Amino acid sequence: MHSNGLFLQDVAGFLGSYYISVAIMNAVAAFVLWQSKKQVGWVVCWLVFSGVMLVLASLALSGSAELVPALPPMVRNLVNALSGPVNYTLGTTALFSMLFILRKFFVQPMVAWTILNAMLVIMGLSMADENFASIVMKPDNVPIVGLVFLLAFFTWLATSQAVVNDERIKQGLPPMEKLNDEKVLVWPDLVYTELICMVAVSALLLVWAIFLQAPLEEPASSVKTPNPSKAPWYFLGLQEMLVYFDPWYAGVVLPSLVVFGLMALPYIDFNKKGNGYYSIEERKFSYLVYQFGFFELWITLIILGTFLRGPNWNFFGPFEYWSPYKVEVLNNVDLPQMFWVGLFDRPLPLAPAGASVLTQVGTILLREAPGLVVMGAYLLLLPPLLAVTVFRKFYAQMGFIRYMVMSNLMLLMFTLPLKMVLRWTLNLKYIISIPEISLNF
Amino acid sequence: MAEKKRLSVAEMLAAARAEKGAAVPVAAQTPTIADGAEKLDAAESASLDAAAAVVKPAPPASSNASSAAAKSAGAAGKPAGAGGRPSIAEIMALARANNATATPVQPPLAADNKPKPAAAALKPTAAKAAVAKPAAAKPAAKLDSASILAAARAGLKPGPVSKSDAPPRPVQRQKNSAADAVASKAAPVARIAPPAPLRPIKPEAKKPAAGVEDRRGFLELAVGSFMAIGFTTLSVTGGLFTLGLARFMFPNVLAEPPSRFKVGAKEGFPAGKVETKFVAQYGVWVVNNEFQGQQQIYALKTVCTHLGCTPNWLEAEQKFKCPCHGSGFYKDGVNFEGPAPRPLERYAVHLADDGQLEIDKSKTFHEELGQWADPESYIPA
Repeated sequence: MHSNGLFLQDVAGFLGSYYISVAIMNAVAAFVLWQSKKQVGWVVCWLVFSGVMLVLASLALSGSAELVPALPPMVRNLVNALSGPVNYTLGTTALFSMLFILRKFFVQPMVAWTILNAMLVIMGLSMADENFASIVMKPDNVPIVGLVFLLAFFTWLATSQAVVNDERIKQGLPPMEKLNDEKVLVWPDLVYTELICMVAVSALLLVWAIFLQAPLEEPASSVKTPNPSKAPWYFLGLQEMLVYFDPWYAGVVLPSLVVFGLMALPYIDFNKKGNGYYSIEERKFSYLVYQFGFFELWITLIILGTFLRGPNWNFFGPFEYWSPYKVEVLNNVDLPQMFWVGLFDRPLPLAPAGASVLTQVGTILLREAPGLVVMGAYLLLLPPLLAVTVFRKFYAQMGFIRYMVMSNLMLLMFTLPLKMVLRWTLNLKYIISIPEISLNF
Repeated sequence: MAEKKRLSVAEMLAAARAEKGAAVPVAAQTPTIADGAEKLDAAESASLDAAAAVVKPAPPASSNASSAAAKSAGAAGKPAGAGGRPSIAEIMALARANNATATPVQPPLAADNKPKPAAAALKPTAAKAAVAKPAAAKPAAKLDSASILAAARAGLKPGPVSKSDAPPRPVQRQKNSAADAVASKAAPVARIAPPAPLRPIKPEAKKPAAGVEDRRGFLELAVGSFMAIGFTTLSVTGGLFTLGLARFMFPNVLAEPPSRFKVGAKEGFPAGKVETKFVAQYGVWVVNNEFQGQQQIYALKTVCTHLGCTPNWLEAEQKFKCPCHGSGFYKDGVNFEGPAPRPLERYAVHLADDGQLEIDKSKTFHEELGQWADPESYIPA
């Protein structure tokens, strides 16, 4: 389905007001900058940008479908062709690495503002695509669009403070948080703030509920599953995890580990620095591991599950039509199959019919030997190996028990990206596959 | 303040000494502390005098006075904290100075105690400080956290910190004064018990007149007691409820389809076809397909073996595809893509007497357990 005139006429009104609000936003920014008598170059820049947004708004509101600003079809097709689970994950990883390495550049307010404007413009241009708009404007998905912008803002806020503090610590100054540590009172300062927030959020939710209808569907039936069938937006990361694992692991063990791991963090942490103030330099390891787990393994998976997974849980580009008949070759095989059949060219060990229980167990163990060896080495051999190599300092400072908890939590967290990579590269389904007792890994 | 929270031992001692000096005029009533006051060295009493003296002339703003007092007290104990910020010792001294001015001085309890020089010297200044109290205790115009903290420490001390700090309890005080009296060979003080409140007179139950039959016992006779009535009713209700609940488990009409049903003659299922028309009602696909070299008709359960969604049969791609996590199954039900760990399950199927296929959903056959070889799991086409 390609963008047609009817759709564009529907969306034009929204896009017009959207561009006008972006224009007003930038005009206000220019005014504030001008008032502060600094960075006059940027004032001109935002004024010009504001004007361009007004031009886009007038084009959108012109009444002619052809004039609604949109991304050229070539760009859309290119984006669709380039998007896929592998590129998506590699791309987000590269993006986060870049944001981390060049954080001193990106936290400058003007750079951040430029990025925000770029995001808004790309969003607006993409909204003129029917497929994109139908997904983004779905009432379920609106919170996730909000989440993208909110997360970007709060990450920027925290990172910019951390960068300032790191710079001060390098110069031997105390962090910003220590300069003004005058305490405020819970009552009335905090409680009043909370009350005001509560009123504001309630008002927002009321307006939201009135204007965006609940996405109700037909009555539920146990033999009819909607296609695609999606979890609530906050669980879409879990649903994406389930693509790579058996339910007991991705649905029970990993989520519990997330909760208990987060609870264990304060007890594992031995770094006394960075307490009560933002800092990245002083706690690089904790920062990177946490951000990887949060952004890469939770947020990007939610975004992937929301916007890029279509019917039959196939991967679709952002401007691609969600066809339930899209054919994607996803054949995958278990490790025992690869090992016995692929490597040694012999059938899987199979207990003869009517064999005793002991023989059957022995056969299964022999069949799964490669997977058991791999997993055993991963979970039992790697922690001590890491302790004497990469984490030598950590081990010395943490002691045996804390180190073991930390390393095992980390290794289990990394099972997810490792399994994803193995699925994409080797078409590996399960490392250990014992369907006889529903135990697969 | 965060970095100053931990006091060194020296600071604590200094604070304690300043505190002790300031506490004398207030707590002169107990002989032990008065004895301690005797041992006050000149510097401490001097600092105390200075503290009280600064308060005495009723300065315009109490914050000035208190800071001066704090400074002098701090100077006596330990040098003031760096950066102009009051140290804990200073705060404590200030709080004590305020306390001294705010609390009226009580005369010593034991009359035979020798007048202590230090206490005697302190008394007039303390009394004068008490006179100066209204001006000094006036709330300051602007409060910083240090003064709030000081005020909190001075006024709202939550309780005694140590045993010696604790005010003597009434009984102990009596004992102490009694001991003092014994020491001064005076008559022991008699303990006066507070008068007990009058108790209401218990109304006496009316005794039934002789010869009149008492009918109050009838219910007790009938069911034991009112408690027994209550519990009997409760247990009877509970029992009836349980019985009703048990009955609820066996409804008169079962809305769910029967586990055994007929789907038509064998000829209705041509080779290579997946029949999807029974999915909505029975949750089953009837397939006529070649499996392990044999043409079979079998019934597949429409539940994905990954997480239980209902897959769709895609005719063009000749596969079952689950919409939840993308598991895919061949026409024979064997999993080949996505996360499903094992093949779809088969239901038991057999030819009924009338020649129709009858499917029995109460029995399932798992391929991974080798049960698809079971002749009950298929019909040779």
